[in-house]
Amino acid sequence: MADKQFKKKISDALDNNVLRGALGRFGDAYVISREKAYEGYDFKEISDNIAEVKAYAASHLDEMIDQFEKQATARGAKVYRASTGEDAKQYILELAKKKEVKRVVKSKSMVSEEILLNKTLMSAGMEVQESDLGEWIVQLAGQHPSHMVMPAIHMTKEEVADVFSGHLHKLNQPVIAELVKTAREELRKSFLEADMGISGANMAIAETGTLIMLTNEGNGRLTSTLPPTHVFLVGIEKLVPKFEDATHILQALPRSATGQQITSYVSMVTGPTPAYYPDGTVQDKEFHIVLMDNGRRKMYEDEKFKKTFQCIRCASCLNVCPAFQLVGGHVYGHIYTGGIGTILTNFVNSEKDAQNPQNLCLQCGKCSEVCPGQLDIPQMILELRNRMGEKTGLPFTQKFALDVVSNRRLFHSMLRMASIAQKPFTKGQPVIRHLPMFLSGLTEKKSLPAVAKVPFRDVIKTINQDVKNRKGKIALYAGCLIDFVYPRIGEGVIKALNEKGYEVVFPDGQSCCGAPATYMGDRGNARKCAIMNIEALEAEKVDYVVSACPTCTHALKESFKELLQDDPALASRAEELSKKAKDFSKLLFDLGGLTPGGDGIPLKVTYHDSCHLKRSMGVYTEPRKILTDTSGVQLIEMKESDRCCGFAGSYSIKFPELSGPILDRKLNNIEESGADVVVVDCPGCLMQISGGLDKRNPGVKAIHTAELLLDKRKNVKKNRVK
Amino acid sequence: MHKDQQDDLYNKFKTKIELVAGECYRVNTALEASELVCNVLIEKGIKDVALLNSPISQKGDFVNLFEKKGIIVYTDNFRQVTPDAQAGITQVNYAIAELGSLVQADADVNQRLCSTLVPIHIALISTDKLIPTLKDTMATIHSLPEIPGFVGFITGPSRTSDIERVLTIGVHGPKQLVVVFVDEEVGGVA
Repeated sequence: MADKQFKKKISDALDNNVLRGALGRFGDAYVISREKAYEGYDFKEISDNIAEVKAYAASHLDEMIDQFEKQATARGAKVYRASTGEDAKQYILELAKKKEVKRVVKSKSMVSEEILLNKTLMSAGMEVQESDLGEWIVQLAGQHPSHMVMPAIHMTKEEVADVFSGHLHKLNQPVIAELVKTAREELRKSFLEADMGISGANMAIAETGTLIMLTNEGNGRLTSTLPPTHVFLVGIEKLVPKFEDATHILQALPRSATGQQITSYVSMVTGPTPAYYPDGTVQDKEFHIVLMDNGRRKMYEDEKFKKTFQCIRCASCLNVCPAFQLVGGHVYGHIYTGGIGTILTNFVNSEKDAQNPQNLCLQCGKCSEVCPGQLDIPQMILELRNRMGEKTGLPFTQKFALDVVSNRRLFHSMLRMASIAQKPFTKGQPVIRHLPMFLSGLTEKKSLPAVAKVPFRDVIKTINQDVKNRKGKIALYAGCLIDFVYPRIGEGVIKALNEKGYEVVFPDGQSCCGAPATYMGDRGNARKCAIMNIEALEAEKVDYVVSACPTCTHALKESFKELLQDDPALASRAEELSKKAKDFSKLLFDLGGLTPGGDGIPLKVTYHDSCHLKRSMGVYTEPRKILTDTSGVQLIEMKESDRCCGFAGSYSIKFPELSGPILDRKLNNIEESGADVVVVDCPGCLMQISGGLDKRNPGVKAIHTAELLLDKRKNVKKNRVK
Repeated sequence: MHKDQQDDLYNKFKTKIELVAGECYRVNTALEASELVCNVLIEKGIKDVALLNSPISQKGDFVNLFEKKGIIVYTDNFRQVTPDAQAGITQVNYAIAELGSLVQADADVNQRLCSTLVPIHIALISTDKLIPTLKDTMATIHSLPEIPGFVGFITGPSRTSDIERVLTIGVHGPKQLVVVFVDEEVGGVA
């Protein structure tokens, strides 16, 4: 759970308009320029290639390191293996002392930031100058980079001008071209005077001992050209097996990082090259490579985190993250930020350091979609969360709530109680408009729905199922929201599936799918829920199991299998359930859809893709087809239809201050579409979006696909008879 | 390489490099290159230039022509002259049509001094050194007896977007990049 100090950092970041403006503008422009840069290229193929060569390197790590060392040494480099940051710093410090280094110039190296190398060298009396413009600004300002690729993205030109004026003892105007010129002039001196250069690398080629770096400013070239001593400080994850394997990363890194086809400069250095010495002679330079572990090996040896080796540090996961876009990098606390940064922090810093930032992940999966290394970042963050939950336990209130949820009788009787107890809050309205003050954070941006008077499990008993040409039987898994808040969705599901020739049954023993426990890091309770539902649903006895909540469907299809893999009997039942479980719109589509029809009354509709449906299950054309087959429906696509609505389960309760602005953006996009109705396939999204619309624009309604079908098709038969 | 194919690669290269603020020309002979570069220097108001001798510059008699036009030409002592020279001229090894990139495959420090410290870099290249794709280029470099000590791709002048994401051309490297393709076969750089 996020602590108070962390919450304070979030609220400070949210109050920083400069930061939010810069990140917002960049995030929007990034999506477009990335897409343009990949035009005519097969992203899937490129990322398959990267995953393949990097996975090979990860599983042959010792061999890679040995080969790299052998090749680089054969070309005249001195290679040092540093197991910790401390080792790396000591080696570089000793070397600098031996060479009587006074001035160091650095081209960009995140690894040196990771181990705070500058501090070590400066305390020994050396001058250390960052030369990447962003890094230099941050260095002068006494701050840390807030982004892996754009270190000073959190600062305005006015702030940069102030920092320059303060340090260079002359007034700098906030004109970007002038500020860049100042940097060129000031840093040129550093390049020419430096007796040692320190660089990071984007790749280290085992086959040839080559180091490759990508830069735009030319600082990488100058650092590898001028100082007579050059040190490369490289994390072991930069290893790539073959020289030509670098092609794949060169194809992806600039496109994914900055939306460029290629950076202005790509520099490949193999062994020492000649340099000018102070006495005017030209000789091979003193050339050292420090290969650093610092917690990485532990990460790659962990089966669940092995794939982090496939990360090429493009930071595209940050750029598309709705949470990062709001709070920026500094909130994450350490050098590596965003989703991938949280995972790296866990290993190179400590688990404790990752405890707060891991909470920021919405689990929306957008980062995995754009990752050129094919990392499932949300899944890894979830793994961290679970391990932390197992180790330290959840706070009492959370634990209590999850214990209640995994106890069906207790949970359901509480929900039934709630439908009566909430009356003072709903004032007879269908939506809770005013909650007591202590819960106000939850309802500032949105209203909460009321618990249904009659839960779906009771409603279904009253439905007379009219099944002609009977084809089979489907078990309906309702999930908490449909069962207790939106029973009408369940009615819509039954009506549609009846029309396709299936009888729908409701196994009474079903309960919460366990997603709240899974996403809060409580595997114990998630497992209890999995067993309870597998036993209740008896997938063996039906043709399909349908759910109209993608988060639940994901649990039925994926999570149960994972949670029960250690129990063969339950695992095979989970497998059976996984095969038969389908999300409503996908199942209806696979069954051939409904005969086109509807009331024909014009209705402008826009569709919101739920994260789990689109990204976990790849379902997004199916619901659109179902909608457009409904007479009267005019589908208008909104902008960013697959961007998270900010609900994300308990996230909206943990971080209403983040969930709120994410929802606002969704609402803006819905309003801009000009639609009368926004259709969703997830009751969680429905709760979030309809709550927001209720407060802001009650003229637009949110509705589940199954409900829309129910509404638009209810009078069809009658009409036809007439 | 067929002439058609070469034209096609050249056109691709030109389109790409112009998209990243590079200038691109093509001439028949080294002598024509000499005249063209001289005109470019005069047009840009260049008074002195660091020239790293190469097959094209020698065949084109660059030094004589430039000096006749009153331009000071430095052909050695590059560590001293390049920080202040107004332009630098080098011949590069390859050009990648797919990306509009030039490739220097050369451990010689002077190659980099004359192309990085100066505000204007003029790159000479034989047209037959055009390579279609990045993938082919990596294969070409890999097939050399050994990977050269320094291989540098150059794609346009240096740039940054580190302040407020606003693109600014000309940071630590050159502010302008001029590429001159020469069709005449004069041999590549070492």
